[in-house]
Amino acid sequence: MCLAIPMQIEAIEGYLARCQAKGVWRDVSLFMMQDEMPKVGDYVMVHVGYAIQTMTEAEARSSWELFDELLCETDVPPEHA
Amino acid sequence: MNEAQVWLEKMRALELPGRVKIMNVCGGHERSITQAGLRGVLPANVELVPGPGCPVCVCPEEDIYQAIQLALVDKVILVAFGDMLRVPVNVPKGEIRSLVEAQAAGADVRPIASPTEARKIALDNPGKPVVFFAAGFETTTAPVAAAIAEGLSDNLSILLSGRLTWPAVAMLLDSGTPGFDALVAPGHVATIMGPEEWQFVVDRHHLPTAVAGFLPESLLAAFYSVLRQFVDGKHFLDNCYLEVAHPSGNPTAQRLLAKTLDVVDANWRGIGIIPNSGYALKPEYAAWDARRIYPDHADPKRRRIGEMPPGCDCAKVVLGKIYPNQCRLYGKACTPRNPVGPCMVSDEGACRIWWSSGVREAETATEQPDF
Repeated sequence: MCLAIPMQIEAIEGYLARCQAKGVWRDVSLFMMQDEMPKVGDYVMVHVGYAIQTMTEAEARSSWELFDELLCETDVPPEHA
Repeated sequence: MNEAQVWLEKMRALELPGRVKIMNVCGGHERSITQAGLRGVLPANVELVPGPGCPVCVCPEEDIYQAIQLALVDKVILVAFGDMLRVPVNVPKGEIRSLVEAQAAGADVRPIASPTEARKIALDNPGKPVVFFAAGFETTTAPVAAAIAEGLSDNLSILLSGRLTWPAVAMLLDSGTPGFDALVAPGHVATIMGPEEWQFVVDRHHLPTAVAGFLPESLLAAFYSVLRQFVDGKHFLDNCYLEVAHPSGNPTAQRLLAKTLDVVDANWRGIGIIPNSGYALKPEYAAWDARRIYPDHADPKRRRIGEMPPGCDCAKVVLGKIYPNQCRLYGKACTPRNPVGPCMVSDEGACRIWWSSGVREAETATEQPDF
């Protein structure tokens, strides 16, 4: 549940950001980023649909590599799609 | 030499006086440690102990029972993070014992991945009551607070089982037998609340402490930091996740938490009440508080209320008193496909993580840490 995934912002409308990570798109709330609003192109750490902090591209890319490994190694199928 | 190897070399060069136990309190940390096989590459006298890092595991059994009844009796649309759906409660054989069984019996139970989905389901079903059963630590409770502050529709309410991480660590430390010599603090809790929240471990308890991220390099940096502090006898709060866990944390998130929720004494399954360790909706949000809206379905005649299932050692696993495979049921009566205790259900439960990483051998508790 505390698993957070870095995503890149592609568009912002109000507090809603269209974000992408490795070819997967999600709507992400920026409601918790009001003190330091990110902009299009920025990378954010996303947890349960909310951006919790901005981060650098380099940090985002190394996290993605780790998730690739984790997803390959998990032997139990997820609860739901 | 890559970064991970550099940290490992530095750790091997330290002259440790004896066995050193490092506790983590985050399911995400335990997952990274286990999947990357970090236990196998650290110096032999360094032990990594998974502690209270799984909110689903400590969610009161009474709350899960209440959620099941809300779905079955009050016929609400019950939405919850997917982890929660398969956690069994203590009821006689043949009765509905989890949210997923309630769903199979016809109740409208839906797994969600975000509070925004709960809001959308409520908006899409204007005539139906929707209850969002929300368990989680600060990282997950802050988005729930954000959703409340953004505004919930009248038909949506929250059954909140939010918990704070640090009070459980404080309880272990105050017990006199914490079972660890150093702490690796949770990176995303620190991202929200600020790394400084963990300063008390250094100031009051004089233990080496470091905030870590979730990549093996960040975890190894944190392990080196606390081991070096241990050897030098100079303890401080280190931050090995500077890129995301900024000083003072996320001010918006903290403001939203303070605006919508009170910090209250709270029950941890298998552990008991820990002072100031839970979140509850503030009275001004009572109209969206499922605890105030719906009847309490607690049945005083029900057996083993609040307890872990018979034979299940989840409570000891959560507190780091034993390792997952030292539980009497691990891999025998309890597996991810037929879980008995919550630690084998949740993706953040230490038992589930160890099993998923291939730990199949149960171990008698002869190597049990000294408690």
